[in-house]
Amino acid sequence: MIDWLDGVLRGFINPYYYGILVTIGINIILALSLNLVTGFTGQLHLGHAAFMAIGAYTAGLLSTKAGFGFAGAVIVAGLVAAVAGVIVGLPTLRLRGDYLAIATLGFGEIVRITLLNLDITGGPFGLRGIPRQTNLPIVILAVLFSFLVLRSLVNSRMGRALIAIREDEVAAQTMGIDTTRLKVTSFTVAAFFAGIAGALFAYWFRYLNPSSFGFMVSIELLAMVVFGGLGNLLGSVLGAGVMTYLPEFLRTVAPAIAERRLVFYGALLVIVMILRPNGLLGTSSEQGWLEIWLARRRSQGAAGRVGSGPGAGSEAPPATGGAGHGPA
Amino acid sequence: MSSSRVGRLLFGSCRLFGAGLLAVLAAVLVLGGGLALAQQTVVIGMLGPLSGDYATYGTSVANGVELAINEANASGNYSYRFVLQKEDTRGDQVQALNAMNKLIELDRVTAIVGAVLSGETLTAGPIAQDAGVPMITPSATAPAVSEIGDYEFRNVITDDVQAAQMAEYAINSLGLRRFAILHANNDYGVALRRAFEAGVQANGGQVVAVESYLDGDSNFSAQLTNIARQNPEALYIGGYYTEAAKIAQQAALQGLNVRLMGADGFDSPELISLGGAAVEGALFTSGFYNATEDPLAAEFVRKYEAAYGMKPDMFAANAYDSARIILEAIQAVGPNRAAVRDWIANVQDFPGVTGVTTFADNGDAVKPLYILRVENGQFTQER
Repeated sequence: MIDWLDGVLRGFINPYYYGILVTIGINIILALSLNLVTGFTGQLHLGHAAFMAIGAYTAGLLSTKAGFGFAGAVIVAGLVAAVAGVIVGLPTLRLRGDYLAIATLGFGEIVRITLLNLDITGGPFGLRGIPRQTNLPIVILAVLFSFLVLRSLVNSRMGRALIAIREDEVAAQTMGIDTTRLKVTSFTVAAFFAGIAGALFAYWFRYLNPSSFGFMVSIELLAMVVFGGLGNLLGSVLGAGVMTYLPEFLRTVAPAIAERRLVFYGALLVIVMILRPNGLLGTSSEQGWLEIWLARRRSQGAAGRVGSGPGAGSEAPPATGGAGHGPA
Repeated sequence: MSSSRVGRLLFGSCRLFGAGLLAVLAAVLVLGGGLALAQQTVVIGMLGPLSGDYATYGTSVANGVELAINEANASGNYSYRFVLQKEDTRGDQVQALNAMNKLIELDRVTAIVGAVLSGETLTAGPIAQDAGVPMITPSATAPAVSEIGDYEFRNVITDDVQAAQMAEYAINSLGLRRFAILHANNDYGVALRRAFEAGVQANGGQVVAVESYLDGDSNFSAQLTNIARQNPEALYIGGYYTEAAKIAQQAALQGLNVRLMGADGFDSPELISLGGAAVEGALFTSGFYNATEDPLAAEFVRKYEAAYGMKPDMFAANAYDSARIILEAIQAVGPNRAAVRDWIANVQDFPGVTGVTTFADNGDAVKPLYILRVENGQFTQER
């Protein structure tokens, strides 16, 4: 069934775009899972690439050294990453804010350096010879699975509790929420999906190298989540899609600026953060320039209708922030 | 009201932009069509880091390929017009895979020079292998590269060969016996360490200390103290020039009096400007020497300097040779990927600027290796 679907898809998608879609799918799973920890639970996590690495190397080793099949290796990879999530989460999630960020960053580096020094992972030479078994239908299924599971999770009682932790941890604790247990659970679920994504990565790229799971990858994933909107799952889908496709878009559409595309990447983020600091589909109430400007236009329009002429309305000092459009 | 005005404005400018784009596209099509009528166009791909931490390597390779293609197009000796399509990998695995797919599926390249780094070559190489696109890497030295398949060639001397020849030279020509190794803990450093250790033992020398460091380290005093305790005659540094220069200076500060040795990671003017007097007398292996008296290479250095305002390094020279081999192949057998592969595999004694080149059965180039020495702030040829 999946092979048949894959044949159909390959029939009308150019292999170049097919490859980009697979990469986008893998990044969507990673961004969704990171959003659970950072967007919904409010814990700044700078080591998500490490869970991806654990999943990728687990799948790679199981497939090349232990003769595992694709499905088995992917599931075990998710489970191993989840176990790593518990082990790392228990001590670090007692930390808050900057301290948690530094601890997770350190965890990411520990995993990378460990992979660099182990013999079984090929050390700096990397792990070769993984068969190419990831394909687009499988990735789409995995994306749907992660999205549905995470959506029902954040809409459940537990999801509300996670959001309560994000908004005010002390208040949540006062309400009887076991914050540490819930934080570790959210971390573990995120690690599981990151492990799955890592395994799909391994079976797609066929070669693993510790440098593919460095600090910058974690930062890029965080950028996808922030760009799309913290605390919004569709936002992560959008963020991962845009941020993964943008470099390729510039490569094909504007090759002249492609070599400077990192500038555009950065500029896009800066613009979004100025216009909408909570990301494209974010849910927090913070106002950016876009909202302030729109609110101003709205209150000006109202003033123009009420005032005697169009000139009087446009010269009137604009009302500030949200105060103007309340009564209108 | 206001939002619809904004909408009109946005759509209006989009339409303008679209019209401009169409005009440009039409112009490109007309121009491209005109040229294609005169001569069949063949696209040559180049894959490597043109931005990011490793951009200097990628840029050198791109320049080398571009110079070869421009020369070929200007010479009038070829029945095809060659077009270069460069793709940036940022030195990143994901980008390398996408860039390789684009070169093969959208640009329809006949052959590729690249990739530049070992990691990206191991990711992108199998794609070219599966699609049957011949590929010559001018710089990926990891041992596993030759296992990718029969469409992958390597026009650079591997780490193994470099370290083995340095060990042989140090023992048999310089009479050194006791060696210490300090290497970067990456694929390059580890491959050099293994091969140098084996080379020293094979020639009857002795490795008395092996220490390692991580990329980006700047303090090597702990490793150097351990090395000094073993009293070696020579220190083999398996790493790049930035660290090598610092190691040389810190070794001098510790009073460690050893002969410094390394591989092509030393091959940058930066070694001398960073290391100063501390790197005087250092020996290293390299596939190219840009002050050589060999007429073919000297001519290349002159042309490269005229085009890009700097002397070519080993990356540029290997890329130039790789591109010329591909162009010769296309001229000989036409722009057919399989036929080009077969021609490259059977190259015998190709006169390259990096020396006479032949590809072995595993796709690795067999060509001469220079041993260079730092003398009075200049690289000179030791062998």
